[in-house]
Amino acid sequence: MFTRRFALAAASVAAMIYAGAAAAQTPVTIGAIEILTGPNNKYGVAIKNGFDLALDEVNKAGGVLGAPLAIAYEDSAGNKDQALNAARQLIGGKKVPLILGPTLSNEMFAVGPIAVERKIPIVGTSTTANGITAIGPYVFRTSLPEADVVPVTLRTAKEKLGVKKVAVMYGNDDAFTKSGYDVMKDALAKLGIETVATETFGGKDTDFSAQLTKIKSLNPDAIVVSALVEAGAGILLAKKALGIPDSVRVIGGNGLNSPQVPSVAREAADGTLVGSPWFIDKPDAVNQKFVAAYKAKYNMDPDQFAAQAYDTLFIVAQAIRDAGAANPEKIRDALGKVKHNGVMGPFSFTPDRDPADTSGVVVIEMKGGKFQIFK
Amino acid sequence: MPEFIDDFLFTYQTLVYSLGINGLLALSIYVVLALGQLSMGQAAFMGMGAYVSALLTVKLGVAFPLVLLAAMLLPALAALIVGAPTLRLSGVYLALATIGLGEVQRIFFLNSELTGGALGLSGIPMKGGLVSIYGSLGLALLACIFVARSRIGRAMEAMREDELAAGALGVDLPAYKLAALVVSAMLAGLAGALNAHVTSFISPEDYGFHAAVSILSYALLGGIGSPFGPVLGAFILTLLPEVLRSLADYRGVVSGAIIVLVVIFMPRGLLTWRMGRVGAATRRPS
Repeated sequence: MFTRRFALAAASVAAMIYAGAAAAQTPVTIGAIEILTGPNNKYGVAIKNGFDLALDEVNKAGGVLGAPLAIAYEDSAGNKDQALNAARQLIGGKKVPLILGPTLSNEMFAVGPIAVERKIPIVGTSTTANGITAIGPYVFRTSLPEADVVPVTLRTAKEKLGVKKVAVMYGNDDAFTKSGYDVMKDALAKLGIETVATETFGGKDTDFSAQLTKIKSLNPDAIVVSALVEAGAGILLAKKALGIPDSVRVIGGNGLNSPQVPSVAREAADGTLVGSPWFIDKPDAVNQKFVAAYKAKYNMDPDQFAAQAYDTLFIVAQAIRDAGAANPEKIRDALGKVKHNGVMGPFSFTPDRDPADTSGVVVIEMKGGKFQIFK
Repeated sequence: MPEFIDDFLFTYQTLVYSLGINGLLALSIYVVLALGQLSMGQAAFMGMGAYVSALLTVKLGVAFPLVLLAAMLLPALAALIVGAPTLRLSGVYLALATIGLGEVQRIFFLNSELTGGALGLSGIPMKGGLVSIYGSLGLALLACIFVARSRIGRAMEAMREDELAAGALGVDLPAYKLAALVVSAMLAGLAGALNAHVTSFISPEDYGFHAAVSILSYALLGGIGSPFGPVLGAFILTLLPEVLRSLADYRGVVSGAIIVLVVIFMPRGLLTWRMGRVGAATRRPS
């Protein structure tokens, strides 16, 4: 008995010494490609903030494999060629076992094939376009694609507001708004909601009165819009100006899920419904802790991109621990099995490396210039 | 091959390819600038080559050399059709007309089902490589040098310095202008095809106004006294963002400052050296 207890104690002391020595070890470095400079850097910077916040917590909790975790950031400036160069630097130069990012779906379409060629897992946190994970067996994403969020929004609108026929408007010159529309079209058909008109516009358009006048005459129950902030706010203003009643709600894709919409459209934005994979006022403890920590560290509110990045880093850290080595192949296999309960809700990957769980999606509505949970 | 060489090649592969492709684009703008025309249509011709080649490879599985040929011929045809009426314009008006061409094409790509709309075309196989890119660049450079040293080159230079005088001396201005535009469209189309086949993804935004300005800046930075100038400019502008990668947030500022300084202090470009001419030595006054 004595010898057994002694052996246990000796083993635990040895383990502690080992862990102490390991903490001073060279960190396990993973790569990240984000837009840190240029016009779209607000996305990349929010994502980096989310990663860094989670990284602190992971390392406080002992890191991974007995060593601290570190992230080597590379800037893509939103440019396909630079994203490619960054990925090659990370894979060939720094030899990272995993890459986070890139920020945009278009960049992922260029970078993904290289990661697949070198068998390095790559995890997009903000790439929502169709076909991302179809690039190859090493491409993962943690962001819920529009294909998962939009149907929830539309189903909620159908059930709670009795929406039966809608008009659809989408920006046809942007990959994000176009693929949002494709998803809306499918979801509307599946829910049996009738589409009375489909109108297009350009992302830089400022006049939407022609499209909305036609829509007004058709008398839909709601207007489904796939647009980015600027065009989306313009549509809301034009809808109000043309006297389309407030009971005809605008149901948006993720593009309208932005605090900038009410700052442009003011009260015209009220009643707008959007689905969001994450929402700042979600009451659960994990989320409240994240929001408080983010505000304390960066002195501003986190957005959805920061939240997705925050969760992703925990998922990746867990996968590295489960893999037991900083080996790309083992990490890839471990990623597929990770279960995580984060700020976006319960998370796991489907066999196709997309997020499996949509129960974290919240439908939110604009009221008095602020989003709140739609009841 | 030792592993570190393999890693080095892998790390810098895209950069090495971009250097060659941007060099070709620089030559394509040089060909029109060399006779004093300002075309902003290079990005449009590049996009045409990229889309035609990608569609031929992905949808029809045509052999790569034939794909490259088609990527040169279609922009050439477009240049013939567009060039005939627009080359009556000169200076800034030609620039405006060719910007228009780029916009028309961009909106076509966005709205056509065939070209994948705003989502672009992805999954283009990596068929381009060192041989096809640097072979093309070498041949194009060689051709430019021979032309610049010949009678045609002298006529082009005369047109650049004074169009009226060149015309009075019997230079067939419209023929030269059209020929230059067609050749430049072929080079840009070839560059577009090679680019599509090494980056595996293309979208309409890659060939917009921004790209047209980048291509023009290669020639402005390098100087247009000889074909080497624009190629040098392309190399520098392609390398700068990667060399300055360690500066992180400041690299845009630094590379911008370098370009501004060059334009202020070396308004004729970095390479002001002019091409010698065939036969010039024998006619030295004695």
